[in-house]
Amino acid sequence: MDVQLKRGLLDVCVLTAIKNEDSYGYKIIKDLKPYVELSESTLYTILKRLETGSMLTVRSVEHDGRLRKYYRITAMGLKRIEEFKEEWEKVLAIYQFVIKGDKEND
Amino acid sequence: MTKTEFVLELTSKLSLLPWEEVEDRISFYVEMIDDRMEDGLSEEEAVAAVGGVDEIAAQIIDDIPFAKLVKEKIKPKKRLRAWEIVLIVIGSPLWLPLLIAAFAVLLSLYISLWAVVIALWAVFVSFIGGMLGGIVAGIVFAAGGNIPAGAALIGAGISLAGLAVFAFLGCKAATKGTVKLAKKLIKGVKRGFMKKGEA
Repeated sequence: MDVQLKRGLLDVCVLTAIKNEDSYGYKIIKDLKPYVELSESTLYTILKRLETGSMLTVRSVEHDGRLRKYYRITAMGLKRIEEFKEEWEKVLAIYQFVIKGDKEND
Repeated sequence: MTKTEFVLELTSKLSLLPWEEVEDRISFYVEMIDDRMEDGLSEEEAVAAVGGVDEIAAQIIDDIPFAKLVKEKIKPKKRLRAWEIVLIVIGSPLWLPLLIAAFAVLLSLYISLWAVVIALWAVFVSFIGGMLGGIVAGIVFAAGGNIPAGAALIGAGISLAGLAVFAFLGCKAATKGTVKLAKKLIKGVKRGFMKKGEA
């Protein structure tokens, strides 16, 4: 898959994983597992990128005598998901067109 | 491997990197290991699930910009003693030109890589120029009454247009390849740079 495309998809996947409630690294990996296999280092890079882009905020919470980082989506992060949905509606329309073209040629 | 061994090994592999970069990443991996253990995995299994230390270290080095690595490497780890400063100053006529030369060689390699691409695009532009020139000159000749010369020039212009199409495809592929090669080159220099420091 094209690198740029993959990067965009993964960003939106991670944002979606924290959309409804704040989440932490391991839970994000587990929640996304049925859809996409993320390695720890990949997730770290994505989280940093999203944090730099103000799409999420980070806070440390004490859990079982240790610190765990929780990630919360921001308004900009939510906007990114909406943009993604709009973009992909257009992409899907094109996909349908391509598929139809294939069938007509058969 | 235990969690402590994992942290120690990773820290030693990344000892040359800026500490603030390393600390944040290591605590991220430790949190992952702790969460996996909480999920029922044994310590060994949890460490193994996070990935190999070498692999993680290589990934982290790739992620950090080259400029930052160089800055960190040049920065002295401890305060220099007087005699060390004297040595550096006395030795500067020797090591400074060597350092500059090494960078110049790397830079010239990088530039010559792109020079090839620029040359290829120049050929493409000259084809386009030739095409336009040929067609315009052909029209001028034809309008002046010299039909055979005009037709020949227009024909030449059109053949150049055909060549330009092929040249464009070639140039595009060459540019793509060079971008890939340049990225690999930078990655290689980065890794080599880090390795030398370990020795």
